[in-house]
Amino acid sequence: MGKFTKEMVDDYADKLLIGLTPEENKMVLDEFEAIDKSIDVINEIPNISEVIPMTHALDDFAFELREDIAEESIPIDEALRNAGGVEGREIEVPKVVD
Amino acid sequence: MKKQKAVIGLEMHCELKSNSKVFSGARNSYNETPNANIAPVDMAFPGTLPVVNKKCVADALKMSMALNCTQPEYMYFDRKNYYYPDLPKGYQITQMESPVGINGHIEIEVGDKLVPVDIHDIHLEEDAASLDHYFDTSTIDYNRAGVPLLELVTEPCLHSAEEAVAFLEHMRDVYKYCDVSEADTKKGQIRCDVNISIMDEDATEFGTRVEVKNVNSFGGVYDAINYEIKRQSALKEAGRYNEVEQETRRWDEESGTTIHMRSKVDAIDYKYFVEPNLPKFKITKEWLEELRKEIPRLHLERKYDYINNYGLSNYDATILVKEKNVADYFEECLNLGIDAKVASNWITTQVLGYTNKYEVNIQDIYLTPKRLKDLTDLIKDGTISSKQAKEIFFKVIEEAKEVKEFISKDNAQISDKEELTKIIEEIINNNLNQVNEYRNGKTNLFDYFVGQVMKNTRGKANPVLTKEILNDKLKG
Amino acid sequence: MYMEKSISELHDLLKSGKATSKELIKESLVKSHEVQEKYNAFVTICDDAKDTPVTDELVSGIPFGVKDNYSTKDVLSTGSSNTLKNYVPFYTATVVEKLFNKGAVMVNKTVLDEFGMGGTGTTGHTGIVKNPWDPKRMCAGSSAGSACAVAAGVYPYALGSDTGDSIRKPAAFCGIVGYKPTYGMLSRYGLFPFASSLDHCGVLTRSVGDAAIVVDAMKGKDSHDMTSWDSSNINLTKSLTGEVKGKKLFYIKEIANIDNYPHASKELREHLENFHHILDKFRNLGVEIDEVSIDQTLLNAIPAVYVVLSCAEATSNMSNLTGIIFGPRGKSDKITEMMKEHRTNGFSPLIKRRFVIGSYILQKENQERYFKNAARVRRLIVDKMKELFKTYDGLILPVSSGPAKYFNEGDDAIDENTNVLEEHLQIGNFGGFPSITIPDGFINNLPVGINITGNCYDDANVLNLAYALEGTMNYKGQIAKEVE
Repeated sequence: MGKFTKEMVDDYADKLLIGLTPEENKMVLDEFEAIDKSIDVINEIPNISEVIPMTHALDDFAFELREDIAEESIPIDEALRNAGGVEGREIEVPKVVD
Repeated sequence: MKKQKAVIGLEMHCELKSNSKVFSGARNSYNETPNANIAPVDMAFPGTLPVVNKKCVADALKMSMALNCTQPEYMYFDRKNYYYPDLPKGYQITQMESPVGINGHIEIEVGDKLVPVDIHDIHLEEDAASLDHYFDTSTIDYNRAGVPLLELVTEPCLHSAEEAVAFLEHMRDVYKYCDVSEADTKKGQIRCDVNISIMDEDATEFGTRVEVKNVNSFGGVYDAINYEIKRQSALKEAGRYNEVEQETRRWDEESGTTIHMRSKVDAIDYKYFVEPNLPKFKITKEWLEELRKEIPRLHLERKYDYINNYGLSNYDATILVKEKNVADYFEECLNLGIDAKVASNWITTQVLGYTNKYEVNIQDIYLTPKRLKDLTDLIKDGTISSKQAKEIFFKVIEEAKEVKEFISKDNAQISDKEELTKIIEEIINNNLNQVNEYRNGKTNLFDYFVGQVMKNTRGKANPVLTKEILNDKLKG
Repeated sequence: MYMEKSISELHDLLKSGKATSKELIKESLVKSHEVQEKYNAFVTICDDAKDTPVTDELVSGIPFGVKDNYSTKDVLSTGSSNTLKNYVPFYTATVVEKLFNKGAVMVNKTVLDEFGMGGTGTTGHTGIVKNPWDPKRMCAGSSAGSACAVAAGVYPYALGSDTGDSIRKPAAFCGIVGYKPTYGMLSRYGLFPFASSLDHCGVLTRSVGDAAIVVDAMKGKDSHDMTSWDSSNINLTKSLTGEVKGKKLFYIKEIANIDNYPHASKELREHLENFHHILDKFRNLGVEIDEVSIDQTLLNAIPAVYVVLSCAEATSNMSNLTGIIFGPRGKSDKITEMMKEHRTNGFSPLIKRRFVIGSYILQKENQERYFKNAARVRRLIVDKMKELFKTYDGLILPVSSGPAKYFNEGDDAIDENTNVLEEHLQIGNFGGFPSITIPDGFINNLPVGINITGNCYDDANVLNLAYALEGTMNYKGQIAKEVE
């Protein structure tokens, strides 16, 4: 193993804006090991790379694109009613700096 | 140091025109009131789903064809995943694997040269929300979230700031010609990222590439490229080329410099994957052909047509093709049988003079190509003089009346040879001194006689005929 | 007890004036509070639920439950997650709206495994859901609260959602019917996403007939969901003729043949024996049932394919949960920290782990090995099934390895022993296939289930097969009784 390390797990979690406890970190590694083993099974399937990945549950039905018709905007009080910070008609957050 | 060559690639984002946003039914138009053009999916409320706008796809495909790209058999979308407060879903819906166009190529005009540009791809995506910053807070307005964007990516095939800007201007005109965007940089509708590297002129391997993000004016693109070329060349000259890092920089308009944002090692992995909520859409040949018919003849093609086949000057042709409405007007004039140069002269001077002064659309003025044809025909057959025609031109527009309404006995040109001859003979008889001087070689007196004829006829004498008769009579 | 009756029985009572919508709602609410007390099945009980006029619509005037990952206007909708513990939507999911429009009355929102990720009914932010047959056991998940409530007789039906087996497994463990139609027959607009390419809406009921009625009331193309399609030519309720003579089914040898399990527990042995016993009953109706062998490698890959695809999609789907527009705000005055605080405190450990795995899987350098290859195997499995569906009307298999498990038996950690028997229902999600679980007996006095899965768009056929099979047994309409 060793391809997925404790440090990597923390780094991934951080990029996902998630904090992990050491126990959670370890569980990720354990679970990952199991997944990695089963992926080995997949990779043994012959000519697997020639198969087109299945990205949608159905790819055999006809559908139409939406006509370009504008609809009413959401009422502002409804749009903002669940937000933890509002200023006027806008969502307010701590200052975003690049 | 060897002579250096710059290698430049552009990513040009342009907002598309439409009634509704690309993945939602919210209105797509600039709105001063924050959060007044929003649908639930624009703010990523849980359970909401994107739905693709047909017009946006159609316009994107038109541009794909206009750039001679290859269109996919099945079009689909991908998610570009990253966290930023202006991105409510936590991902942007864009096209990575199967964009509306790949491998395109066009020619642009740089100065008086034609330069080929290779297009890597063109894809349809959504804009992010906009942030306003205050002392210690920021506010988020979602009006822009979900506005359709077309992103065009060139190959690294441009070699100067001039070429880059010429390309952007060319594309702006193409977007406008196809009527898919207002393409107004002042409204922030065009935004660019620029990739720049330098290399020895005879080298085959590219130098280290620096990306400059979020350049929002053509002037900015010009300055940013020149700044980077200078910066990179200076380091190379000083033997410190290794300090040129593969990085992302930001153009700072105020200082006129680029500023480091992040290094390659910190590059974000966007974890692209196919958007499962938008099924793969088959682009039929029939639809493509239908759309192809909606693409107008583009400006450069028209320009060379006007020069090569109608004998117009480069200068005039350039003016005529700058806006599609004007070029269409000109071409209608040609179809009606107005001489190309005559039509060009009228349009570039009188018509555009008027429309520019009063800020009206050429399509909306009362003087249609048909009426311009009436007017120029009257000059041609000598009924009116050019000077009179100019007066009538304004009257037609201002009073919204037909050309013929302004042609009366009173102002009709005197083109009757007998009548004119009589008038001229009388003038000669009353100016015998001048006639003698003329015959003795003071030929510049010719204009004096023309003046006398005009004075006598209150300007209505047909000037060509006048000159002809005068010549004849003065010879003696 | 009204609420132990079927939809059509209730409709007749309402129509004939022998009962009123008000009475049904009152009974359902009283029962909701009892069930909440005993099994913790609900996030919200709508005590202010109003009666509706009885019309020709079968669902009119009748109470029902909604899994709490459906958006319901002005009613708390949490996805059983702390990240949305205070979220009150301003819009209602399409399928729920359709039921409202037909006069159905929502009386509660049911507990799920957080955002549907999990199969135990233990990871919701309001605590574990207990099995009404034996409170020491789990209902399975993720539609745990819905399965529990329907089984306990709170109402005749509740909505569920199914990404791996989240309707069909809890249905089995609670002794009821769980049906997820073909992908796109029901709009997903308003369903909080877990893994969009695998997510299905569906229903839990106590009979196949009720399942048909509810899905008939909810189905239809929705302009808000591009993956939905027009099913107006399908009438499930009318398709239930019970006529199945000459139909052909298959079961997968590697999964259902007892010989594959030399060390089988007593429970597993009984479960499989019962399955084959039921198949014989089915054969008596004139249904032909074959044993078909499928490449073991493909079957073994099912759990991994599911985990890889669902974790990857989930990571992205839940990126909108930052506490900026909805959900409790983090307290930090730094924007990134604020979002991080929301997510760290809001998600359960299980979900966080899966996000990290999903993120790793989607990483550029890992995509080919994990994500793309899993999606390729998904296609191989689906293609194999579609090939078999050319010959067969459906696949029939036992659900799980036996009845409901004790709480301490399994958790959702993905360990190597996760076996095909436990996970095969995921095939139905890979292909978007219509799939229905019905109760087929008891082991240790606890219910077990059997599943029929058919080809896409062939819902009427699948449901009719289940309807016929249901008729050969005595479990239709059964209400959970605590056993000891």
